[in-house]
This record gives sequence, structure tokens and C-alpha cells, in this order.
Amino acid sequence: MGSTNGHALVGLVIVSHSASIADGVAELVAQVAGPDVAIITAGGGPDGTLGTDGGRVREALLAADTGAGAVVLVDLGSAVLSVRAALAELEGEATSRLALADAPLVEGAISAGVTASTGAPLAEVAAAAEEARGARKL
Amino acid sequence: MVPESSELVRLPPSVALHARPAGAFVRAAASFAASIEVRANGRQANGKSILEILGLGADGGSELTISASGDDAAAAVADLAELVATFS
Repeated sequence: MGSTNGHALVGLVIVSHSASIADGVAELVAQVAGPDVAIITAGGGPDGTLGTDGGRVREALLAADTGAGAVVLVDLGSAVLSVRAALAELEGEATSRLALADAPLVEGAISAGVTASTGAPLAEVAAAAEEARGARKL
Repeated sequence: MVPESSELVRLPPSVALHARPAGAFVRAAASFAASIEVRANGRQANGKSILEILGLGADGGSELTISASGDDAAAAVADLAELVATFS
């Protein structure tokens, strides 16, 4: 996981209020982007409730960064707060390789995942996620 | 003059340009410096954008026109056309 030809790939973190949504997005992205990109989910609140779990978000941020950094995609409002709180708890060097994307969850994750699979650097993967904001569906 | 290349290719009948094949196409396209465009169903897409490629809605058996512009355009079109023709 996380490398192609020996150099680390940017990873993805999927944060959703629902574990099912997070797992489903991860499954879909893996199918399109291939098996090499690390996709770590933090779905649902403590004890399987709908919500977000700051501790799991923090663990996911650390697990997704295998050296090249990770892009974080979130679903709704308070997921952003959970990610920001987790980032604030981490030390400086780790957070400099973590990018929270302002992007729709499904399209952003697919766009970022495919870009990450090509070996693109963190800024390019984050930009690919945010390009999904302008993607028309019809 | 910037080298350009273009080829018409048909997707295998049972393979739509969705999910896994679309990802494989975009990853291959990204390995070339040339800009790459794909046309299908009267739509056009940046060959390096997974969302645009998925947005083509190209079903199995549909015709794709793959065009490239840049120094490695000929190699890009040849490789991508072969990839599409051999999807399974």
C-alpha cells in the first residue's frame, strides 16, 4: 500500500458521519484508482452512532500519510470541525503533509484518488479534489 | 509546430468507460506530457480528468476519438487506443 516504484503515494482520508458512507466511498475510489493508494476511513461517531469521532479521525490522519502526505475529504459541517480539531492536536511536521479539501465527498475522493495513483504530489492531489467542485453531473 | 495525433477506437462491446477502465485510462493518460482529449457521444473530456471521462457516459461498443497535442502525442494516442481496444 501507498507506493509505486518505491516512492510513497499521497493517501486519502474519508471522514463521514456514517460509517457506511465512508466505507462505500473508499470501496468506490479503490475500484477506480486501483489498489496502491492508501484510503483510510473515519466514519460514524463513537459506539456506531451517526457522527464523527475525533480520536478515530486523528488515527486515520496518521495512518493515511505514508510519507507523501494525505488529502482529507469530509461530508458535512461538523466533520470539518473534527478534522480541524484533530489537526490542532498533531505536531507541526505531520500537519504540513495533511490537506483538508474543500470538495464534494464522492467526486472529490475519486478525482483525488486517481490523481494520487499517478504519483502526483500533495498539492496536485488536493487540487484534483477541489476541481470536483466545478464538475457538472449533467 | 506542436505535434498532434488522433485516432478513432471502439470500446469492446462488454466494457463501458466507467469505474475501473476509466481509472486505468486516466492513469495511462497522465503518464504523457501531451494534452489529451476524448470525444464520445457528442461530448468531449480532458483525458486526464477522471470526472470528465466518467461524464462521457461511454457504454460498451461506443466509438471514442482520442486526440493528443504535444511532443509525445503520437505515442500517447497509440498507447491509449491500444488500452481501450484491449479492455476486458
